[in-house]
Amino acid sequence: MLGFVIFALVVLFFTVLVLIGKTNELSEDVAGKGMNYDAKSRWNGYFLLAFIILFFVSIVYQFKLLAPIMIPKSASYHGEQTDNLFYVTLFFMAIVFVLTQFALFYFGYRYNQGVNKKALFYSHNNKLEIIWTVIPAIVLAVLVVMGMRVWFQIFDVESRDKNAMVVEVTAKQFQWMARYPGPDGKFGHRILDTAHINPNNELGIDWKDPNSRDDFWADKLVFIKDKPVLVKLGAQDVIHSFYLPHFRVKMDCVPGIPTQFYFTPKYTTEEMRDYLKELPWWQTINPETGEPRWKTFKYELACTEICGRSHYGMQKEVVVVKDEAEYNEWVKKQTPIYTVPAPDAAPADSLKPQGPATTKSDKETKEIKDKKEKTEKDVVSVLTSGSAHKSSK
Amino acid sequence: MSAHTTTTPADVHGHVDTGHIHGHEHHHEASWLETYVFCQDHKTIAKQFLITGIFWGIVGGLLSVLFRMQLGWPNETFPFLETFLGKWAEGGKISNEFYLAMVTMHGTILVFFVLTGGLSGTFANLLIPYQVGARDMASGFINMLSYWFFFSASVVLFISFFVQTGPASGGWTAYPPLNGMRDVAINKGSGLGFDLWALAMTLFIVSSLTGGLNYVATILNLRTKGMSMMKLPLTVWAFLFTAVLGILSFPALLAGVALLEFDRLLGTSFYLNMIVVNGHLLDYRGGSPILFQHLFWFLGHPEVYIIILPAMGIVSEVLAVHSRKPIFGYRAMVISIMAIVIISFLVWAHHMFVTGLNPNLAAVFVLFTLLIAVPSAIKVFNWIGTVWKGSVRLNPPMLFAMGFVSMFISGGLTGLMLGNSPIDIQLHDTYFVVAHFHIVMGVAAFFGMFAGVYHWFPRFYGRFMNDTLGYIHFYVTLIGGYAIFFPMHFMTGLPRRYYTFANFETFNNFNFLTQFISIAAIVVFTAQLLFVVNFFYSIFKGRKVDVERTSEDGYTYGNPWDGATLEWTAPIERIHGNWPGEIPSVHRWPYDYSVNDKPYISQDTPLAPGEVEHK
Repeated sequence: MLGFVIFALVVLFFTVLVLIGKTNELSEDVAGKGMNYDAKSRWNGYFLLAFIILFFVSIVYQFKLLAPIMIPKSASYHGEQTDNLFYVTLFFMAIVFVLTQFALFYFGYRYNQGVNKKALFYSHNNKLEIIWTVIPAIVLAVLVVMGMRVWFQIFDVESRDKNAMVVEVTAKQFQWMARYPGPDGKFGHRILDTAHINPNNELGIDWKDPNSRDDFWADKLVFIKDKPVLVKLGAQDVIHSFYLPHFRVKMDCVPGIPTQFYFTPKYTTEEMRDYLKELPWWQTINPETGEPRWKTFKYELACTEICGRSHYGMQKEVVVVKDEAEYNEWVKKQTPIYTVPAPDAAPADSLKPQGPATTKSDKETKEIKDKKEKTEKDVVSVLTSGSAHKSSK
Repeated sequence: MSAHTTTTPADVHGHVDTGHIHGHEHHHEASWLETYVFCQDHKTIAKQFLITGIFWGIVGGLLSVLFRMQLGWPNETFPFLETFLGKWAEGGKISNEFYLAMVTMHGTILVFFVLTGGLSGTFANLLIPYQVGARDMASGFINMLSYWFFFSASVVLFISFFVQTGPASGGWTAYPPLNGMRDVAINKGSGLGFDLWALAMTLFIVSSLTGGLNYVATILNLRTKGMSMMKLPLTVWAFLFTAVLGILSFPALLAGVALLEFDRLLGTSFYLNMIVVNGHLLDYRGGSPILFQHLFWFLGHPEVYIIILPAMGIVSEVLAVHSRKPIFGYRAMVISIMAIVIISFLVWAHHMFVTGLNPNLAAVFVLFTLLIAVPSAIKVFNWIGTVWKGSVRLNPPMLFAMGFVSMFISGGLTGLMLGNSPIDIQLHDTYFVVAHFHIVMGVAAFFGMFAGVYHWFPRFYGRFMNDTLGYIHFYVTLIGGYAIFFPMHFMTGLPRRYYTFANFETFNNFNFLTQFISIAAIVVFTAQLLFVVNFFYSIFKGRKVDVERTSEDGYTYGNPWDGATLEWTAPIERIHGNWPGEIPSVHRWPYDYSVNDKPYISQDTPLAPGEVEHK
């Protein structure tokens, strides 16, 4: 019923508008004005001028309202450089934006047919055109050079710290599997064949490799302040994308093609909270937790490549600790994956694909609110059973 | 019209139309089917493209309204949705699977079926023969086929909404492996829905290629006497290069989609390697998912120029006519179109900076991506220069053309950030990208299209669209368009294609803003319906074009906007063959406005004694 009323109102509204339009047209014809645009141009000139002023004012207002809510400053070293590059580009952009937008609408207002009867026949000006070709070209060249310097610093393999911490993150629908090398600092080998990859050992870890015995699954990603980290990325089923918004880190996880990202965290989670504590918006109370926002601030890992129905649910917490000691303490509390007899003894014929994963969580939408608890439960089950992941049912 | 395919350019330029006179005196009684359905006349085909495009515009817009409702009010239910969508919105809440399907179909429909088929198909068909001075396209029959392939593609795509597992839902970019395995457990839309998507795209590509070849052939071969390339209006230049882009890039997508279907249906591994599902290693070996991205974006990037170039051409023409001034820097405009076309083939991997692409390769693509901003900037400056000191007639087509320039500036500038790979690390696949491309190629292209529809409506139907409704349409769309997409720049870092942000503390701060955007989207969508109402109302009841003179054989002539291009020298009646007598010959460039104390001098007016031709 409500739907019908709304529909009827919309139809009525449109009918009224069409009638107004038609009436205007008829009254113009009666007055003998026809398609004369003089008066209309004058009015629209004012509208355009008003629009461009309001547009600029609204942008200032948007900055005031929205900038404090944005993802805060970079928590990694390279991120500071990319942010810096962003602001440099923004500076040039803002100049061009203000000048061109204003000129466009102002000229529309200033030279509208209502006030300017005679147009100037002026077809080109080579000098002017060369100037406005060369200046953008120079600015863009500067931006390319600046950009590439940062880019090659981020991806310069030679200069990387050989002792960087290494974490292996494998994505699958709809979960992040983070493997840490354990106290020995070495990952167990993986053997990618049907004999090693099975539901109990999705990565195909070679249990005969002694290094594998202390590898563990982490329920959250833990990094150390100022310690470079190399994240080795992979995906099981479809493409995912490893995204740490606070660290300005993003890299696709592609099935069959290993990728990686190297970066150095700059602020611990605690330090970031201390920084945010000073900012007005972060002092406001979050209605969901009843606490100031800075208190519950945490780094998070998200997926940024469409990967299926629960793409939006691939969350994992990220923690930056202050030093190795704190990190080692955390490592000590973890349980190795290898807590049950090696599962690669399973008979070969049981390893065939069992058909599509039809039993996978169809209820994910409804369960989204309980997700956090679920994730924790998953991790517990992982730790106890030695399997990578129990389906979230 | 088929005789034209065999006539040599010399014949046409000399008007040797022997044995095939297209004037009204020879036309046989066409049946209803031939006049309105299987019609080979470029004007009717243009209308068919336009009306199909309007249909898809409504569908695509409606999809965006639906998923904006989910994004704006993630915790609400809308019981009426269940009435219409059934199992896709149980309890009045859109399911996460259907959300992705809507996002996917919205992208596919808007990019291909509205802004390529609807925009390029409409105006290239209407304007090329009129503006180059031809009786019709080089091949009317192939032109008709082009539309009917487009129609078939539309039918197939529409059917895909009604299959059991739903339409394609893996993103309009169709990346494998999500779309590369025919497994509805991985992704519901990867079942039959995706096969239909692939079939629709194939038919669409055939349509685009047949259309494009025809446009190129017509522009190169059927120009009237005196119409040298440098006397072509910028619209025709834009259509020419759009067609060239399409011809060179669409085959890459066709190949890409064909291989994708091989993977899906025949078990090949072009794009698949070492896939593990539920702990089971599947049999695919040696393919690369990234290969598909290369093929896709080899089309995908030129595609955005296929969308925007016709809009640029239309805007150049409309700005000049309604500023009563020649377009500023005609030559620079032509050269910058060429530059854009060439560079647009060398930038595709900027969509792939974070796929693990070789960083050295990325550097090349950064360079060309920022380089393409130079010709774009030239065009913007020249458009503004055209308005400067004009006698600007602020009517709906002009306003939409100015809106186009404004949107193109706003959206184009953010491209400088996205195109710079280190900045793109953070921005890639976030709302910043959504804001960027919607403004620069979505809203802007729509503004170009609206400018064209309002401007050439008299050419289509001999009537004007109502301008009061046009003004309302313009201001709501301009303000609303910015209200939707400008604030999204501040949602930098929020991943796109998320059903809800509730799982992330980092992204969960923008609820009031997503609601505001959703309301703005609904308002803007309603304003577009007003345009549709105005369009169909004006076909029948619009104000008629003033008749300036009537020829002896009863044809009426009028030039509603005082335009200098050839389409206004044809009679108001839309006749087969366009001009009843001889085709006018061309003596001057298309932008003689406010010159020699005349408001305009039509292209077919010979040079006055002593007048120097504009170079």
